[in-house]
Amino acid sequence: MQAGMTTRSLLALCLGAALGTGHAATEITLARFFGACEADYGKVTDVSKATGECGTITSLVNQYNATNKEGVVVKAEVAEWGPYYDQLTSRIVAHNVPTIAVMHQSVLGDFVSRKLVEPLDDGFKSVGINTADFTPHAKRGVVIGGKTYALPFDTWSWLWHINVNYFKKAGLTTPDGQPILPKSPDELLAQAKKIKDATGKPYFSWTTANETAAPTRTFLTLMYQQNAQVFGADGRKISVHTPAATNALTLMNKLWTEGYIKKGLDYGATQQAFTSGDVAVDVVGNWTINDFLVAAAKADSPLHDGYDVVPFANLYGKKAIFADGHSWVLIKGGTHNDAEKKAALSFLKFLWDHDYDWSRTGHLPANNKVVQSAQYQGLPYRKNILEITQIGVTTPSNVPRQRAIEAIIGEEISSMMLSGKAIPAVEDAIESRVNTLLASVH
Amino acid sequence: MSARQHAGRRMGDHLILAAVMVLALLWIAPLAWVFALSFKPNAFLAQHTDVVLGAPYTLKNYTDILGTSSVFRWIANSCIVSVTQTLLTLVLCSLAGYGFARTAFPGQKALYVFVLAGLAVPEQAVVIPLHRLFADLDLHNTYSGLILPRLAAPFGVFLMTQYFKAIPKDIEEAALLDSTPRWKIFLRIVLPLSIPAQATLGIFTFLTAWNDYLWPLISASKPDMYTLTLGLAATQSNFAQSEGIGYLMAQAVFAGLPIFVIYLFFQKHIVSAVAGTTVR
Repeated sequence: MQAGMTTRSLLALCLGAALGTGHAATEITLARFFGACEADYGKVTDVSKATGECGTITSLVNQYNATNKEGVVVKAEVAEWGPYYDQLTSRIVAHNVPTIAVMHQSVLGDFVSRKLVEPLDDGFKSVGINTADFTPHAKRGVVIGGKTYALPFDTWSWLWHINVNYFKKAGLTTPDGQPILPKSPDELLAQAKKIKDATGKPYFSWTTANETAAPTRTFLTLMYQQNAQVFGADGRKISVHTPAATNALTLMNKLWTEGYIKKGLDYGATQQAFTSGDVAVDVVGNWTINDFLVAAAKADSPLHDGYDVVPFANLYGKKAIFADGHSWVLIKGGTHNDAEKKAALSFLKFLWDHDYDWSRTGHLPANNKVVQSAQYQGLPYRKNILEITQIGVTTPSNVPRQRAIEAIIGEEISSMMLSGKAIPAVEDAIESRVNTLLASVH
Repeated sequence: MSARQHAGRRMGDHLILAAVMVLALLWIAPLAWVFALSFKPNAFLAQHTDVVLGAPYTLKNYTDILGTSSVFRWIANSCIVSVTQTLLTLVLCSLAGYGFARTAFPGQKALYVFVLAGLAVPEQAVVIPLHRLFADLDLHNTYSGLILPRLAAPFGVFLMTQYFKAIPKDIEEAALLDSTPRWKIFLRIVLPLSIPAQATLGIFTFLTAWNDYLWPLISASKPDMYTLTLGLAATQSNFAQSEGIGYLMAQAVFAGLPIFVIYLFFQKHIVSAVAGTTVR
């Protein structure tokens, strides 16, 4: 027993000495959503072998931990996507601040106005991240009041995923087999009728059940395409008693009442309706491209040899489309010393250098150099949607509580479609509810 | 009773039984569907969720859950929190209930009404001040932080008070005549008689603690302190509804398994608790 104790004590001493003489690792934490996939990617240290959001970000962290020379260890703290910002806020209140956190660009303004996020211009310079390389959309998303508050990671937007086989059946393709896109609301309604007559299917699947984001994103896209201002210059007032808003709502309502949108779909059912061949066009973001490519590769799929993806069709003239993006921020209080800050910036540089790997998930790159690279443009369908990095429109960052506003607009549009609420009443309700919310933000 | 009447009654019983069985099947159908989908590949479910029986099958959804390194830590956290919370709730509610049922003190009625008023306060109404309080006490990301807020259990106090009131006073009075101290009467006579009520309260408390989501979400922000519900939710991909349906279903089954096992053991008490009675 005595001998055992002595051996253990000696081992402990040796271990302590070894640790004491070696480089102490700097551990930083990374708060993120995107899920956990340790079973598949827990040990993958080569990001080129990863697919999907979860696999890619997990492998990126693994690769950084395995290869960085500074002895930095990044520890991912994964949270659920839905309540992520509530949890992040509660962490800040509880002084348990992560070193780095993922943040939607639409949410960044709220955190910056509360003075919770570190400006990063000097830090970026110190590690060689050139903000001039940010795409126009990415720059609009992370630069607030002349300061850069986040590292943009991607741009995501609102696309039309098209079953070209149905377009062909309805005579809506060019001689070389490309889908013909409508250029006005009337053309869209005429196309929808043709598709219904030729295939018996509704034109659109878009989420109308248990979600408010989809109708809002469509509405905002239609507004931006009319060059309409939704919010006042100071971001504290919404105006939708406008001809542009009435046009957009009238079109959405017509599509719904005339049966051109498949009814009763939640998010999962919306994607399933498209892959199962129940609709001609799925209105959803760029993150589904890979899934649809996989589906289209199957011989028995309704999408086989007939899948295409384009930005939301331009129906009013101005090339514009709702867009948002993921970015990485340093929350104040998340770094406790220079070593941690240096480590955080080193990891951000690593992520920036691997923007191409992230863009394989379907998201658009935030780095102009990646956008212009042959490697990126060689990915399937990416050329079709590249222009979004230029024409993507983000709600101005001085508009607070954008998630809550998105929910209000979506709820009111859903009321119009699902229970026949009149368009003037919808406009009244959006203005009244959103302006009450904005007035309550100090 | 004539043979005809007897046959009529039997027929009525059969009809009721058949109706109950149909309702039970309707009730269990979504659960069976969840169970069946949990054994199907996600890629397959992205296109077909209406297939319950038949290939393809996979265990990958379950191996993915078990492959998450923290999952056993989360199970342990859930067990520690649920068991401790249950035991402490039983102790506190029994003591408070006995106090309200058997001892007279100034302001007793007002205090009892005050405690019961807690039943009318929704959790969401107090979550922000509660979070601030625990932040000031530096108790977030601790077991104490997860357990303490749930110990204020007005329902438990009410249940135990009513139960103690229903126990005949004569039993205690006989012991008091023998000069037995009050705490001994409580421990050795009253408490054993209240075991059915304690079983009911214990089961409800355990189930609530195990399924709790909101408070752990904002109090346990370090993955090491996640409970099972929180941890499993965190592993979902952003688009699990379309690309990870099988995994979602497996999570539901996995998280529900311990509760299912508990139900098997305490079925009698749970049924009587739900029916609003206690097993004596």
